[in-house]
Amino acid sequence: MHHVVLERWSRGESFLHARDARVKVLVLLVYLVALATTTPMTATAGACYAALVAAAIVAARLPLAGLALRAATVLPFAGTFALFSVLAGDEARALSLVSKSYLSAAAVLTLAGTTPLPKLVRGLESLGVPRFLTLVIQFLYRYLFVISEQAQHMRMAALARGGGSLRLAHAAGAAATLFGRSYARAEGIHGAMLARGFEGRMELLAEARLGPADVLFLLGGAGLATVLRLAMGTLA
Amino acid sequence: MLPWDSVHIPDGFLSTPVWLALDVTGLPAVGLLARRARRELEEARAPLLGVMGAFVFAAQMINFPVAAGTSAHLVGGALLAITLGPAAASVVMTAILAVQAFVFQDGGILALGANVFNMGIAGVLAAWLPYRLWGAGRHRRTAIFAAGALSVIVSALLAVSELLASGVPVRPAALAFLLVVFAVSAAVEGVITVAVVRGIERLSPRIVRHATPERSWGLAVCGAGAVLLAAVGGLVASTNPDGLQWLGGQLDILGRITNLFAAPLAEYRARWLGSPWISKAAAGTAGALLVGLICVALGRAATRPRSA
Repeated sequence: MHHVVLERWSRGESFLHARDARVKVLVLLVYLVALATTTPMTATAGACYAALVAAAIVAARLPLAGLALRAATVLPFAGTFALFSVLAGDEARALSLVSKSYLSAAAVLTLAGTTPLPKLVRGLESLGVPRFLTLVIQFLYRYLFVISEQAQHMRMAALARGGGSLRLAHAAGAAATLFGRSYARAEGIHGAMLARGFEGRMELLAEARLGPADVLFLLGGAGLATVLRLAMGTLA
Repeated sequence: MLPWDSVHIPDGFLSTPVWLALDVTGLPAVGLLARRARRELEEARAPLLGVMGAFVFAAQMINFPVAAGTSAHLVGGALLAITLGPAAASVVMTAILAVQAFVFQDGGILALGANVFNMGIAGVLAAWLPYRLWGAGRHRRTAIFAAGALSVIVSALLAVSELLASGVPVRPAALAFLLVVFAVSAAVEGVITVAVVRGIERLSPRIVRHATPERSWGLAVCGAGAVLLAAVGGLVASTNPDGLQWLGGQLDILGRITNLFAAPLAEYRARWLGSPWISKAAAGTAGALLVGLICVALGRAATRPRSA
């Protein structure tokens, strides 16, 4: 599955992996804003922004080709609207849509590939995202596997009993069963967590602390993106 | 498989005033909804919402047969609103969209506010209104169908309107194609939602929240108005060859309205909002705030704890 690979990437070791999640999120935001506000998106600008992401990927010792392939998940959507733009006679817009969305996806992947989700979510929390929402995100991610596996088992069971092509009522029944089981599982989880002293906060093994390297990375990364943006012309 | 049943806007598609305005208003709105959801659900709060989010992901593996050998899957916004209530459904949808954006590159980070607004707030509200109004009476199945269909079509129309307002050129023919796709997806989601809710009622009847029997016409009018607004907004934007120009006109009006409220700050305005870019963004934010306030008021009316 998709996030197994990402999970493995995010547990690697490199300068970028070691940086504080908050700092990485902030640098990503500066980069995304710089990219989004660059108009017109020239080939030079695209190459410069791509070089910046590529440098980050190499510094994080992530597989460049694998990540580039994974970022291509945005291309069906971007491609459709690029096609619409070409049909409307606006080729520059088509190029800008594809390049901006692709580079943004690659940058987000670089963050997700160097930061395990619990750390990322904790970082978002200390940047002001409400704790209730970050808790829901953590539970969602934690049980994504479990519930998906259950869905696969149910599908297998249906196939084994000759249910290769389900009718609508059967599919709905399967979804309703999965729903009921998920609901019951959630109640069980909550009870078990309360019994173990859960007080509405996920504990990390070590609290993140900003070091000099983090500050340096923040200034360097955000500075580079800003300089690049300013070199590409003024605000439209 | 149908091409799209939900439009996750990636980064790089929306113009700065649009994404900025929706981030500034949509994301804090979710913070408010999170507080409301925490108050409403007594039991198993965060684990329940998280696991239900995981359920929506997993349920996409179940293929629902549609006509002519094609199949579709559950989008889930309406199902969540019916089973968990609108505030909790908004929180779950936001969590889903955040995981999709960070882990699956489905939807952008700067565009998260827009996607949350379209699917997590407007889509959930569009699903909740018909269910709340007619979910208990004779027309229960119709109400659930409408909930599923409206959640999909309202989010899709809003997304397309935002793209058009950002100046993404979509010719009328391409737009007609998109509208047909969305209409089909909406009808399919309506049918699937009805079937799944029936299944849940049979298997575990205590889960489905029962809508109040009494109907409120004020709500009906507001809901119909909101849906119409979304639809008309999309169509007006589409018939205009240059969406950006159209939005510019709208923003100008909104900017004037903001001036009325910001009269004491008038002399600073020239200095602060001198650049057209900033004043556009500010006007956009004010407009979105207005819409957000209306949504919050509507949501408050719709989610008032029932006496039953």
